[in-house]
Amino acid sequence: MAERRVVNNSELDAILRKVRVPEPAPDFWETLPRLAANRSTAPRVPCHRTTSSWLKWAWAAGAFAAVVAAIVVIPWPSHERPSDLLASAKLVDEMLALFPSRLRAIVEDEKGMRVMLSDQRDVPASPPLYVRICDGHECASLVTFSGQEVQMAGRNLTVLSDTRGGIILEGKDLLWSSAQSFLTGKHLTIVAKSLDTTSM
Amino acid sequence: MADEHEESERIARCRNGDHAAFELLVQAHQRMVFSIIYRMTGSVSDAEDLTQETFLRAHQQLESFRGESKFSTWLGRIAVNLSLNWRAREGRRGEIHARWAQDAIVDGGAAGELPDELSRRVQAALQRLPGVQRAALILTAYENQSHAEAARALNCNEATISWRVFAARQKLKRWLKGVS
Repeated sequence: MAERRVVNNSELDAILRKVRVPEPAPDFWETLPRLAANRSTAPRVPCHRTTSSWLKWAWAAGAFAAVVAAIVVIPWPSHERPSDLLASAKLVDEMLALFPSRLRAIVEDEKGMRVMLSDQRDVPASPPLYVRICDGHECASLVTFSGQEVQMAGRNLTVLSDTRGGIILEGKDLLWSSAQSFLTGKHLTIVAKSLDTTSM
Repeated sequence: MADEHEESERIARCRNGDHAAFELLVQAHQRMVFSIIYRMTGSVSDAEDLTQETFLRAHQQLESFRGESKFSTWLGRIAVNLSLNWRAREGRRGEIHARWAQDAIVDGGAAGELPDELSRRVQAALQRLPGVQRAALILTAYENQSHAEAARALNCNEATISWRVFAARQKLKRWLKGVS
């Protein structure tokens, strides 16, 4: 069998010129000018999601539902209550994978567990911070990130981490630091640590 | 096709909000834009979407068209850059195209091909090229742009375009071995 010959420059040009472009949908040429003119004056709105985007979101929603169901439905052994789950980085990692830059906090209190998401991808990356507050009657736990304001134990709190890995909680009647252990407001038991480097 | 004077008038009218003038500009250039994008993406449906997007971008950026190049060259620049961005977004799909292209070349026959088969093989080979080489080749070989015009369109220098065209042609010559 004869070996195929490499084409030369002029043959390549001839081949390229012979190639035809398929026709689009039958009415494409007729409708495009009007459609483009109409769209050019319409306010720009986000494009419709493609099927693959929808599949992606469906997958994410399914995975999220599975994680929540696992937390809520599975009878956790006493040594592995949801609070312990929150304190482990695994759950946070999974939630971060589902909602990159949108996960503000995962809170667990007497109402159950809930996830707080930002509408925008604007949550800055920082090590996850675990906080647990008990007021003698009830306890609430959360995992959040430095700079986030969250509602916990009936109050709005801003959770901050300092450059040495210490954690500061700031609220209307509360100022607490893991480094100096000072506290204002009514008596609370607070535990806080970074899920990367523990600081109590 | 409108002459340059007529086209300049349409552009001026379009800048003043004349929809009919914009429709005429779309009519005049839609096939050229569609061809560029199809050759860049290898997909008719994506070419339809991106052709529309090209004209929307052109309308939004019409103030920036200074008439230093032909209007068609300027449109081609938008079309190519949208297609390159599409490639980046559709990276995974691009890989699939590339695999399909490789298969098509390996399996392709040598002689007596129908024009459709020839088109399919050449398009498959184009899809195998890196995006910037494909863009350079399409603008120069199909749109008859000079290397200087293609360089402006792709925001690089002329020597880079010359190298990309050369590299693209070398690859195509190898990949299209036996095609006539």
